[in-house]
Amino acid sequence: MRELVKSALKFLEKGGIDFGDIRIEERKSTTIRIANEQLQALSSVVRKGFSVRAFRRGAWGYSSGTSFTLNSVKHAAEAAARIARADSTKGLPHSPLKDIKPMRKNLKPAMKINPANIGLDEKTEMAMTVSKAQRIGPRVASTFAIYGEWDCAFEVANTVGTDVSWREVRTRIGGQAVAAEGERRDFAYDFADGTGGYEIVKAVDPNEMGKTIAGEAIELLTAEKPPSGLMTVITDPDISGLLAHEVIGHASEGDEITKRRSFLTDIVGRKVGSPLVTMFDDGTFPAAHGTIQFDCEGTPGHKTKIIDRGIYAGYMHSLETSGTLKMPQTGNGRAENYSRRVWVRMTNTYFAPGDDKFDEIVEETKDGLLTHKSISGMEDPVGGGFQAVALMGHLVKNGEIGPAVRGMTLTGKALDILKSVDMASREFKLSGGFCGKGEEDYVPVSSGGPYMRSKIIVGGG
Amino acid sequence: MTLLAFADDGVKKALAAGAQAAEAFAMTYRTKSVYIEQDVPKVAEERTEAGIGLKVAVGKRVAFTSASLEGQKDVRNATATAMKAVKMVPEDPDFPGFTSFRVMGKVEKTHDSKTAETPVEELVEMALELTAAGKVRKDVTIPKGIFRVQDYELRVANSEGAEGSHRGTLVFLYFTAKSGTKTRAGEGIIKSLGVSLSQQDFQSIGKRLGTRSVENLEASALREKISGTVVIDPLDLGEMLIQTIGSAVNAEDVRRKRSPWQDKKGQKVASEGLNIADMPRLPAGLSSCAVDDEGNPTADRPLVTDGILRDFVYDHYNAALLGGKGGNAFRRAVATIEGAYARPAQCSISNLVIEPGMQSLDEIIGSVQKGVYVEKLAAPEVNQFSGAFALEVRNAAIIEKGELKDRVKYALLVGNMFDGLKNVAATGRELRPSHGFLTATGCCYLPPMAFNGFELVGQK
Repeated sequence: MRELVKSALKFLEKGGIDFGDIRIEERKSTTIRIANEQLQALSSVVRKGFSVRAFRRGAWGYSSGTSFTLNSVKHAAEAAARIARADSTKGLPHSPLKDIKPMRKNLKPAMKINPANIGLDEKTEMAMTVSKAQRIGPRVASTFAIYGEWDCAFEVANTVGTDVSWREVRTRIGGQAVAAEGERRDFAYDFADGTGGYEIVKAVDPNEMGKTIAGEAIELLTAEKPPSGLMTVITDPDISGLLAHEVIGHASEGDEITKRRSFLTDIVGRKVGSPLVTMFDDGTFPAAHGTIQFDCEGTPGHKTKIIDRGIYAGYMHSLETSGTLKMPQTGNGRAENYSRRVWVRMTNTYFAPGDDKFDEIVEETKDGLLTHKSISGMEDPVGGGFQAVALMGHLVKNGEIGPAVRGMTLTGKALDILKSVDMASREFKLSGGFCGKGEEDYVPVSSGGPYMRSKIIVGGG
Repeated sequence: MTLLAFADDGVKKALAAGAQAAEAFAMTYRTKSVYIEQDVPKVAEERTEAGIGLKVAVGKRVAFTSASLEGQKDVRNATATAMKAVKMVPEDPDFPGFTSFRVMGKVEKTHDSKTAETPVEELVEMALELTAAGKVRKDVTIPKGIFRVQDYELRVANSEGAEGSHRGTLVFLYFTAKSGTKTRAGEGIIKSLGVSLSQQDFQSIGKRLGTRSVENLEASALREKISGTVVIDPLDLGEMLIQTIGSAVNAEDVRRKRSPWQDKKGQKVASEGLNIADMPRLPAGLSSCAVDDEGNPTADRPLVTDGILRDFVYDHYNAALLGGKGGNAFRRAVATIEGAYARPAQCSISNLVIEPGMQSLDEIIGSVQKGVYVEKLAAPEVNQFSGAFALEVRNAAIIEKGELKDRVKYALLVGNMFDGLKNVAATGRELRPSHGFLTATGCCYLPPMAFNGFELVGQK
């Protein structure tokens, strides 16, 4: 493998380019799916491949393959250089790359229990328990549970002299129940995940997880239609996290700034939220799902302050966008895998906790809505609009949590929402998931924050 | 040995290693992509990949493994991993074994050689043609565009003698346009899919893209609530129907009691006159194929006729348990073929086709007294179990007395899709393809449709 890396860099250097790198990946994963308390599928995947990039005067050429022969790597390096040379004549601005300090490191993953050392029978039993525990009554129509583990080994070497290698190990356990009664039908879910070993799964009580999921699905069958219009909303950490991730996060990705596609372009130093709003993207957050040791360009993971007490502080960067905007590298150049390109991507994105207790926020809310868990969110870097779908919620009346309401859509202008934040809790949580750029290129991330009280438009149900 | 022959090799190796039955799916693909950023080609790519998915059975124990494929050692490793796993999993008492069909023949026009052989440099020129056409005004830029062509070939074989092959090409376009100033911007987004470059009119896609960004810029925030007839463009509506109908007719969801249509065969689930079919034999269809991804022959199948639910779609497993006919097991997505070998086949629609009506889009709009035309939603996501949705509109216009009036934004389209299917006011005549999320199997061919009972809710 060493010889292939050296050869790739040599072929790139001969290709008349400004910069080049090779990324080698071996991705192993195991997934166990349990449906209606029966094994639905056990899947083991090994994907191994490489990606070669060439950069010339603002243009990138990529080539990748799964055949690790000298001939294949040579062909890929030559193709990447050829494409970059051709595209560099198409009128691109000649953006420079940030000065890259050569780095040589080999890092081991931070985990306590290597999932490879746990038998498939134990993992299957864990997922089976989550599925079985959901059978709490006749209204539970269907149960589902999933266990997943990912062990990915990376090596990145470039023409500047960087040669780093590391492993990312992630684990996940979760479930979903469908409840039905007459014509009414709804679902609920829960999961736990993170960057780390089997200890993440072991920390979960599978019986409790299953019962909670089923209880929420049943509660939704009798939940009321949520109110609609502009109202006081206490967003739970999941929905707070979606606000951080989908609107501010995506619009703070450096490539959206260099393209001037983001509503946050040229906004550093300006007020974007109330003083209670501080936000980070943090690739170093211990054990969170989006935590990375290096990004896919070989830059170490980084904690980046995006909003500081309501004032916009800065963007996330790849090697190229930090060079173009003359800003520090932040280790956010990420790719879904060896056959996908590098974009500027988030890691763990969250609002920092506040000083209020959750109970105090509820007590001080006369008429509002408390959200519970998210289903989806959508980015809008151009317009700065927020769209998130909550799984369910509860009415809050005169300082007390009231009846459950069905899933709803939360919308509005993100900066209007952030400027209206008047309370933020000490309680804080991150939730993992996978994030796409537009519609594709999914990478592991997490998002979260405290319970936050603000004004948001609510609709649906 | 060709890479595809590793499917047969995988079955042999699995049996030699002690499997009592085995199924292998091998595929190779080439991808060429161009990424436009701020009007110019920023990234271009050429990629190749091969892989194998292997399912082994010992008695009623079943395990699946997959690996990227370079040579025989990858098949050996995949076999060893699968055999190790199969000894440790619980039995599946319902496992019906594998299918035994030998599927010959192919569906017309799923592969276009000219598209497959187009060099990436020519794709760059096509992307630039679309980009130039999108700049309908001086203030319009194309910040982001993805243009991808894939050429793939697959083979499935199993220990019962089943075998089949398929070859296809896929074309995928996703472009955004931005108009306006630093302080006030409008965005247009457009997608287009097909199996051939000749199906793509880069000039007209570009013009529509640029125009959408201008219309979004000039739209006003909706304050009030509008009830009436809602006409929805096929691309986003298709995604909504894939989530709802696609799940409701899926035999896996039916068997697991997740489908709201599980007990509704023979009952009315849609408006009179509405016909819905699954059509894997559709010429030039994105999901068209003679053989599904576990070796069963495919067949067109009416699902809803004249509003009455007639049938579901089945993979081999659910066909055996529920008494249907297989042919709907897929791993392939239509927006990208990438990584399909790494997923076990699952029960899925292929080409879900909504039978077109007689009216053009203009005629449908012309017949609406009061309502809304929705061209683009932020994210067309529907609760697949309940059918409920509340979706932010990005491009929409109010319809008054048969004419498009004010453009509106910052509003939620609210309704229930299962109720909407029973309140279809009109179906257009021009079919267009739509797909679900990136790795979702299956797609939908549908015309623009009009519904009663949905609402567009403004900010008050």
